[in-house]
Amino acid sequence: MKVLTNTLAEIGGLSVFVQEMFSVAYRKGIKQRDVLEQVWKVFIQSFPTTAMAGFFVGGILTLQFTLQVKTFGALGFLGGLATSSTVREVGPLLIAFMLSGKIGAFTSAELGTMRVTEQIDAIRCLGADPLQEIILPRFLGIIFASFFLLVGGLFMSIFGGMLMGVLFSGINPEEYIRHIPTLVSKVSLINSVFKCFVFAFVLAAICTYKGYTASGGSKGVGIAVVSTSVQTMICLVFMDWFTSVISDAFFTVVGS
Amino acid sequence: MIEVANQWIYLSIKNLVEFFLLLIQGFLSIFIRPFRLKEIAKQFHFVANESAPIVFICVSFSAGVVIVEATFHMKLVIQNSSMVPGFAAMLILRELAAVVCCLLLGSRVGAGWAAEIGSMKVTEQIDALKMLGIEPVKYLLSPRLIAASFGAMFLVALSGILCILVAMYVSTLKLGFTMGSFFSAMRSFVSMQDLYFSMIKGFCFGAVIPVVSCFYGFRCKAGAEGVGRATTNSVVVISILIIMLDFLLSWIFSNFY
Repeated sequence: MKVLTNTLAEIGGLSVFVQEMFSVAYRKGIKQRDVLEQVWKVFIQSFPTTAMAGFFVGGILTLQFTLQVKTFGALGFLGGLATSSTVREVGPLLIAFMLSGKIGAFTSAELGTMRVTEQIDAIRCLGADPLQEIILPRFLGIIFASFFLLVGGLFMSIFGGMLMGVLFSGINPEEYIRHIPTLVSKVSLINSVFKCFVFAFVLAAICTYKGYTASGGSKGVGIAVVSTSVQTMICLVFMDWFTSVISDAFFTVVGS
Repeated sequence: MIEVANQWIYLSIKNLVEFFLLLIQGFLSIFIRPFRLKEIAKQFHFVANESAPIVFICVSFSAGVVIVEATFHMKLVIQNSSMVPGFAAMLILRELAAVVCCLLLGSRVGAGWAAEIGSMKVTEQIDALKMLGIEPVKYLLSPRLIAASFGAMFLVALSGILCILVAMYVSTLKLGFTMGSFFSAMRSFVSMQDLYFSMIKGFCFGAVIPVVSCFYGFRCKAGAEGVGRATTNSVVVISILIIMLDFLLSWIFSNFY
């Protein structure tokens, strides 16, 4: 029972926080320069790790599909199948898991330290709104940056898969690429981009919320960091299921 | 420029060697007395029991996703859903159960241990251990190594089974399979061997977690910022190492199917 109430309290707090952020953005405006600065900082900081993770995820999926496709003698479809399942589901999930450790933990530690050392209260004392000055640029910056990082990681996963296809299953790159457009349809791409956007939103919302509400000295910052990465992962898995079901239902109604 | 590159290469090789030395030292000191069974049981409780609810919730949602996606792909390629169970069970047992479960464990358990050992280092408790004649690697790393690798192994096995059950439930609701037809369609693709292989994967991924968090905890710089940095770094490195190790292990196991 206590677990349930705690969970509901967390969800409610998060929703109120996000709503407040939007209302601040609407009433007081967005500082574009700060947002761009954050986008650049986050992107540069985590691009190498994301690219590496994407590359290996593509390689793993190709490796697994090779065994399967070989039994049916349809190696030509390998590229299409591996790319389709990486782009639609496994790729965004695993790369976003990586990012929750990298971006989420870093941002909540930074904001939590600011909160605990009372820098956020100091900003409020100076007559500025900390939500507008500090939190909103980070929130928007992380959304944009991690959206681009996820898409970039997916591109890297195609290269990783292609390399693995050449090395391990012995087909040439042209053959690998040829069936990608036949199996990865417009619907899949829209689905994948939608999923990346939702994941980016989840990442940004949870880490800024946990950092902003940290309390109780350096130990509180530690608790905030750990619970950020755990809660982000749970939300990611849940949203993964949710977006899959929603886009499935949407495209069966609308038709592709 | 060249000097910077040289410095970077030197540092990364040094770190790599130190990491492997730590791993070997931790592994070998498992066999030295005293064995500290109580500590092992405590850490095992922290790894396995306390993480179990989160891991099981996440893993069962990802099983649902796999069924939805597999149905989509099968409709795309062969226009019916007779092979969905086998396909989904293969993806679950060979990849997702082990990787999702251990990435979650890595961020929960690894971050906790890195913060704990880092703050021990900052408050000079590790130096105190050395002064008392206790080897800190033996005292801190070895029990965690045993607990994490076996805990991850059991969690992966249980979550694989749970995933299959959830997949069965979803496909009886959505695709009109019965339980029997699901199992018979599944068994032509996967066997018990796949579960054993995923348990081996879980064992290896679990062993990564304490070594990385001790590596960053032992070299933690003073102050609250140092502990935060050690925690963040260890979570990132654990995630990358798990994905890379998964690639390597999949390659090795692909020779046995």
